[in-house]
Amino acid sequence: MLEVKNLKYSYNSNYQALKGVSLKVDRGDMVALLGKNGAGKSTLFLHLNGIYEPDEGQVFIDGEELKYDKKSLLKFRQKVGIVFQNPDDQIFAPTVEEDVAFGPLNLGLSMEEVQDRVTEALERVGMSGFEKTAPHHLSGGQKKRVAIAGILAMKPEIMVLDEPTAGLDPQGVVDLSVLLNELNDEGITIIISTHEVDLVPNYANKVFVLVDGKLIGEGTPKEIFSKPEILEEANLKVPIVTDLFQQLENEGFDMQGDYPLTIDEAKEKFLKLLNKN
Amino acid sequence: MKFDMDYIAHHNELSEFNPYIKLFITIITLVVTLVLDNLYFDVIIFVIMSVVILTIAKINYKSYLKFLSLPMAFLVITCLFLLFFFGKGQVIYETGLWGIVVTEGSLHYCVYTFMRVMGCLPCLGFLALTTPIAKVLHCLGTLKVPKIVIEIGLLMYNTIFIFLNEIDTMQKAQETRLGYHSYTTSFKSLGALASTIFLRSLDKSETLQFALDSRGYSGELPVYEPKKED
Repeated sequence: MLEVKNLKYSYNSNYQALKGVSLKVDRGDMVALLGKNGAGKSTLFLHLNGIYEPDEGQVFIDGEELKYDKKSLLKFRQKVGIVFQNPDDQIFAPTVEEDVAFGPLNLGLSMEEVQDRVTEALERVGMSGFEKTAPHHLSGGQKKRVAIAGILAMKPEIMVLDEPTAGLDPQGVVDLSVLLNELNDEGITIIISTHEVDLVPNYANKVFVLVDGKLIGEGTPKEIFSKPEILEEANLKVPIVTDLFQQLENEGFDMQGDYPLTIDEAKEKFLKLLNKN
Repeated sequence: MKFDMDYIAHHNELSEFNPYIKLFITIITLVVTLVLDNLYFDVIIFVIMSVVILTIAKINYKSYLKFLSLPMAFLVITCLFLLFFFGKGQVIYETGLWGIVVTEGSLHYCVYTFMRVMGCLPCLGFLALTTPIAKVLHCLGTLKVPKIVIEIGLLMYNTIFIFLNEIDTMQKAQETRLGYHSYTTSFKSLGALASTIFLRSLDKSETLQFALDSRGYSGELPVYEPKKED
């Protein structure tokens, strides 16, 4: 449903941020885009709804090529919503409800429809009751939720989140991943950029690894986290649980090439090992 | 205590009171005070509006004094200038310096200006301290104030807090490294702060533009009408 073909983009003649990226995301996927700081994740994201126009390559959404005239941009921006890393960059209106209403109003919907969507979106992210609040009186986690509501209210098919967990406290991170999982279950395709690997296996069914503007790996979390060479090149680590089991193997436990990625998998594996001995 | 006017505007007994009436009262009292130009009336309006702000809106008196003190430096400087350098008429006091004198006219000028400002301040305060900016802007919108003015106000309102936050953080970071230890370092630090904040503002404005565009911004901010509460 979302396809990027050989995307190249330079900020200036000396620095090419994307060096030919191709990737494909299917409907209903929950994708994690891994890569260290400056790998080109944000740049890639800004191509997905036509904020940046690539030097070379194309973006396809639902099989349709992204065009850069005003009318098609509006259409594609409704389909692909971007939640920016810093909610302060995104939330601009003096009250929460006005900010959430901004997208739907730009789509030219009727006022009643917009009101309904605002109520629904705020309810969905658990921010009902904050309609009249000024955004700068909210906490970081709450701002993030409002930013997500602002995108949800446009009813996108694909939601792109740039490092959504950055700056959140642990409970905020957990709440956010629960919310994103729910949204995904409701049929929204989600793409997340991150370098926090521990949570990735909990939500993602597909992982891309971006290094210096090039895609060096793609596959399920299991596949990616069993390739140390890719992780090393991307300055990433395996999830802490996986690390534990790899070290246990060095101590003489045979893992048969199967390393758990999440706490749940690890629990199962432990119980199995304990029962065996 | 930190003086946060925006917080006060959102949290007082008159926050939810009809903003049109508040705007109307403010404009009328301002105009009357300016037109009448009467010392007694200035005092009366000062007392009445202060009482309204302190007892009806129930705004903390410390915050109110802080609000009044903000423009005081300008007011005092202006009045001193008026006293010594303007006006004609009989000389009532000679300073003995370069022929600078206080005349009847300048004294009159000085006192009247001072009282007029003191009368107008609580009128403005009545609006500024009890009404969230968003509501004021909405009122102005329905009163056919040009859209561009309101849009600029709207965008400024939110970004100003981010801006102030940024300055605050940077200043603390500089202070931590003794950036304001002496006069020379203070000047240097302040200069660095100003130039960095300028560059960062440019950066932020670009990101804000991207974020607005992402949500289908067409160059005009649409106006949202919240659901009527039943």
